[in-house]
Amino acid sequence: MTKRSGVRADFERQVEVLVSLSEDAYGDTLDQLSAALDGLRREIRQRFPSHDTRHSPRSRVDWQGLWDTLRRRVSTLGMSERSAQVDEFGLDPVVLDRARWLFDGLYDRYFRLEIGGVDRLPERGPCLLVANHSGVLPYDGLMLSHAIERHHPRRERPRFLLADWLVTLPFAQPFLARVGGVRACPENARRLLDAGHFVIAFPEGVKGATKVFRERYRVKRFGRGGVVRLALETGAPLVPVGVAGAEEVHPLLFKTELLARPLGLPFLPVTPTFPWLGPLGLVPAPSKWVIHLGEPIATRHLGPDAARDELLISRINEELRQSVQQLVDRARRDRKSVFE
Amino acid sequence: MVRSADVARQRRAVSESAPGVVALTGLATSIGSELTRRLVERPGLRVVGIDLRRPYRLDGRVRFHSIDLTDPTADSRLAEVLRAERVEALVHTAFRTRSSSDLELDHELETVGSLHVMHACAAAKLGRIVIASSTMLYGPRPDNPNFLSEGHPLRGHPDAHSIANRIEVESFVAGWRERHPETEVSVLRPCWALGPGASGPIASYFALPLVPVVMGYDPLVQLVHESDCLHAFERAALESHPGVFNVVGSGVLPLSTLLRSAGRRMLPLPSPLLYRLLDLPSRAGRGDPPAAFYDYLRYLWVADGRRGWDEFGEPHYSTSEVWMSFVGSRRLRRYR
Repeated sequence: MTKRSGVRADFERQVEVLVSLSEDAYGDTLDQLSAALDGLRREIRQRFPSHDTRHSPRSRVDWQGLWDTLRRRVSTLGMSERSAQVDEFGLDPVVLDRARWLFDGLYDRYFRLEIGGVDRLPERGPCLLVANHSGVLPYDGLMLSHAIERHHPRRERPRFLLADWLVTLPFAQPFLARVGGVRACPENARRLLDAGHFVIAFPEGVKGATKVFRERYRVKRFGRGGVVRLALETGAPLVPVGVAGAEEVHPLLFKTELLARPLGLPFLPVTPTFPWLGPLGLVPAPSKWVIHLGEPIATRHLGPDAARDELLISRINEELRQSVQQLVDRARRDRKSVFE
Repeated sequence: MVRSADVARQRRAVSESAPGVVALTGLATSIGSELTRRLVERPGLRVVGIDLRRPYRLDGRVRFHSIDLTDPTADSRLAEVLRAERVEALVHTAFRTRSSSDLELDHELETVGSLHVMHACAAAKLGRIVIASSTMLYGPRPDNPNFLSEGHPLRGHPDAHSIANRIEVESFVAGWRERHPETEVSVLRPCWALGPGASGPIASYFALPLVPVVMGYDPLVQLVHESDCLHAFERAALESHPGVFNVVGSGVLPLSTLLRSAGRRMLPLPSPLLYRLLDLPSRAGRGDPPAAFYDYLRYLWVADGRRGWDEFGEPHYSTSEVWMSFVGSRRLRRYR
C-alpha cells in the first residue's frame, strides 16, 4: 500500500485506496494509516497538477510558484514588521514590540541601568519629566522612557522630545518616531500633555546634547522656561530627573564645522572613535547608567494664569535646574566608576 | 445634548441663509466639477458656472458664462454676470491642479484672477464667498509641529510657485475680509483628496508602477476622502460657516505603510539624486523643480482637523480608509 506507482494510477485505484483505508483504519496501526494518507496525497498531487506546473511537466523546481511567493513577499515586505495603524504622533506598537529586545539588551546588559524613585511618579498623566541631556544621539530619551515603562505600575511609556536636528536626520527620524520620539516644540508637547501622556523633555536642548567632555554633567541653562510655562498651562506636575552615564556614551572631544555643512549637520562631533572608525565609531560606549527621579513639583494649584508670571516661571525654572543638578550628582556618586 | 443643539443650529442656519443662486468658478477642477454635479441636484437652487471654456459634458441646468479671469476687465464683467444672475454665494476653485510650464500665466490666473473675483464680489455685494485653498500652503518643513492649526503661518515651499500664488491669495482674502465684514468668507484648506474619482498629480503619483520616495524619510501622511471634502464645500456654500478651516481625514499613516499595505513597489532614492534625476523637465522650462513636490514626501505637514470637524461634521473616512478606497477603485493592489 505504501509503494505505489502513482503516475500510472487511475481513478479506480484512488477509490480503492479510500475503501481500503476506511477498512483498514480500524484494524491497522497509526503508521500504516499515515503512510496510506501520504500515498493518497502524492497521487492526488500528480493527477491534479496545479495550474502552473501543467504546462511544464518536466520542470522539477516550481519556478512559477517560487516567483509568486517571492513577488508576494517583496511587495508586502515589511508589513509584518509594522501595524496598519499608528497613533497621531507616529508611534507604531508593532515596531516598538519588535525593537524591545534591543532596548532590553541595552538596559540590562549594555548600560546595566539602575533607576530610583519611579514610585514618585503620579499614577496617571499628564506628567512632564525634565532631565539633563547628553550623548549627541537620544540614547537618554530612549532608555529613560524604557526604564519608566518597565517600573511604572501602569506600564506608562513616556514620549520623549527630540531636538530639531534629529528630525531632519535620515533613517534615524522615522525609527525614532515609530518608537515614541516627538519633535520638541510647545505645540506638540501641549497636545501630548492634554491627551494625558507622560512626556520627557530636555530643556537644555542642543546645548546639552552637544556638551564637550570636560563640561560633562554640568547642567546648562533650561532654555527660556518653556517647560515650566507648559506645565503651568496644562497643570502637569514637573518631575526632575538626573541621568548619569549618557555623557560617556559618545564622549565629545570637540566639535568642528568642517564637513558639517555638506552632511547637513549643525556640526561634526569628534569622539575618540568617530569619525576615525567610520560607522563603527557610532557604537555607544558601554558606560554604567544610574537614573534618579526627584520629588515632583506640583503646578496645578498655581492655575493657568501663572503661566504669564515671568518671574515665577524663571524661579521655578532655576529651582528645577538645581534639583536636576543635585540628582545628577547623586547618580554619579552611586557609580563606582564610569564603567561599573 | 450638544449634538442636538448643534443640529438645531445647523437647521436654522440652512433655512435662514440658504442661497437661491450659487456661482462656481473653475468648473474643470475636480472640486469645481464634482460640486457642480452635486449642487444642480438640489431643488430650488440655481447654479451659475464661470470658466474660460464650457467644459465638455456640463449639466444642462448650469447657466454657463465664459469669462477669462486673466483678462484685465474680468472683474467688471464678472460683477455684471453676478448682478444679472442675482448670485448670492460664490465658490472660487479656479486654481491650477498641476504645475504648468507658464509661470506667468499661472500667476495671472491664480493670484490676479482671484483678485478680480474678490473685487467683483465686493461690487456685486455678494453675501458669501468660499475659497478653495489647501493644507499644502503650510509647507513641508522639518520644524513644523506635528499638527498645524489654522492660525499657523503659511510658509509654503520656496520652489512651488503655485503654492506661493495661493498664499498671496489667502493673505489678500484675509485683508479683504476685514474691509468687507458684511460678507461671509469661508476659506477651506483640504489636504490631499483621494477616492474613487481621484485624478491629478497626487493620484497619478501613487499609481506609478514604481513609486519614487525620498530615502531615509518616512513622513506621516494625511488624506481626505473626496466625498468628505465635497461635503464640506457644499455646506460652506449653502450655510453660514465664516472662517478658515482645515478639511482633513482623521488619523495619519506613514508613507511607507500606505504604500506597502497596497503592495505598491517603492523606489527609495537619496534626496540629491531624486531631485537631480527628475529635475530635467523643470530645467527645460516646465513647471516646478521636483523638490517642490518631493519635500512634501520628506517632511511633516499634517493639519489639525478639529476645527473643521466641529464645523462640518466628523469625516466619514479615516486616512487609511481613504487610501483603501482609492487603491481598491483604481485596482492598484499588487498582491493576490
